[in-house]
Amino acid sequence: MSNSFYVNPEQLVNDKAQFAQKGISRGKSIIAAIYDQGVLMLGENTSASLNKISEIYDRIAFAGVGKYNEFDRLREAGIRWADNTGYVYSREDVDARALANFYAQHIGDVFSEGMKPLEVEILVSQLGNKLRPTKIYRVAYEGTISDEPLFAVVGGEAEEVKRRFALTTSSVTSLVETVKSAVLALTGPDRTLAVEDLEVGILEDKGSRRTFQRLSDDRVRELLS
Amino acid sequence: MGLPLFNSMTDPGPNFFEYMQSVGHQPFGQGAMDEQAHATTVIAVRCNQGVVMVADRQATAAYVASRDIRKIEAADRFTAMAISGSAARGIQFIRIAQLSFEHYEKMTSSILSLEGKANFLSPIIQNNNFNSPLYVVPMLAGFDPNHNTGRIFEYDGAGGCYERSDFNVIGSGTQFAEGALRLGFRPDLDLEEALELAALALYEAGDNDPSTGGPDFVRHIYPIMVTLTKDGFQEIEGDAVGERFRRINDRRAESRGIAGGQLR
Repeated sequence: MSNSFYVNPEQLVNDKAQFAQKGISRGKSIIAAIYDQGVLMLGENTSASLNKISEIYDRIAFAGVGKYNEFDRLREAGIRWADNTGYVYSREDVDARALANFYAQHIGDVFSEGMKPLEVEILVSQLGNKLRPTKIYRVAYEGTISDEPLFAVVGGEAEEVKRRFALTTSSVTSLVETVKSAVLALTGPDRTLAVEDLEVGILEDKGSRRTFQRLSDDRVRELLS
Repeated sequence: MGLPLFNSMTDPGPNFFEYMQSVGHQPFGQGAMDEQAHATTVIAVRCNQGVVMVADRQATAAYVASRDIRKIEAADRFTAMAISGSAARGIQFIRIAQLSFEHYEKMTSSILSLEGKANFLSPIIQNNNFNSPLYVVPMLAGFDPNHNTGRIFEYDGAGGCYERSDFNVIGSGTQFAEGALRLGFRPDLDLEEALELAALALYEAGDNDPSTGGPDFVRHIYPIMVTLTKDGFQEIEGDAVGERFRRINDRRAESRGIAGGQLR
């Protein structure tokens, strides 16, 4: 017979949420924003090899903040899920909404049943075509999924970054403008960021099946100049 | 299927084939069929800019099962996969190879080396050919950006992988194509010379091997020709291929079918 004591569920959920928030708030933020030709994902990352933004499938990209090992495992699972779905059915049948839902279910399950919630927040972006819309889904540490109309932010100062980004960008604009606003929103007025400390990926149709592209430092410098 | 999560002890890593097996997919299960379609001749020739490949378009069972099957496909930007043997297994094989290379790239953010791709296919071929009468013998060729050269890998039925420094042929037309290639090959062929030699060798195979389809001037179905160079996998447009085969055909008509001499 187990010796567990009664714990108020509200207390439990609050404690877990506080714990996860603390973990996530230590990390840098990532912005995903729709621009006129595609979707931008931009974040602060001092490592050039441990990526936070990644390709999942032909028209789907992933970004994670928080504990690297936790969100990287989710990224890998996403790639497996997408490749397997496309293999069993067809490449057309791989949908970001289904993937975001799986992430939400898993993160939610761990939050309510696990010893420790995952200290991660995730963005799943999809570049639309005639079958599907362009979308950004945000999955929070407790499994809440939200469908963000123009842009979404995850990470440490998400609320603050979100407020700053909304001030400069109210509608869909060019890649150049969107990158500039995103960098300004990340840094705020008192700070500047070196191009080398930015990680930038885009989903954009350029004639090939795979639309994800990682932007080099030179390309980002060009966009910011 | 839910989210495919693994713990660190059971994680299949970036190997898509291993992942498929770990979740119970058996893409190359056992079994036999009487009337299976066979894919036949594919040729690869190395040249100073990379590799050229050419394949006929015919699949045969007890009859002509298809006149426009594709036996060469891009496996990724710099690599081509070709198949001979069971058409069903071959096409499955190409899909899995394409997917596995891309999967590895996405999982690790790095591209598998050409040799890595060649070795990866060995156990899959072995696994299929030892367990099933649906025999498949593929070929992998590509431009190796790490070493700036074209490379060709051939396989035997047991999955053994051998790198070829000159040319390679798979399928039932092999002996006829190989004869032409042996006489025409030089290590310093340029791209155009390699294309012409490969086309000629395929013409010979189509002429002599009943299972290999030659150029079909009636239906305008021509062999597939591709080049693999520093610019990646490029397929030559059908009309240009048709033109090349028509010239060979005209010369052969002029010599009344005699394959030697000036009119070769």
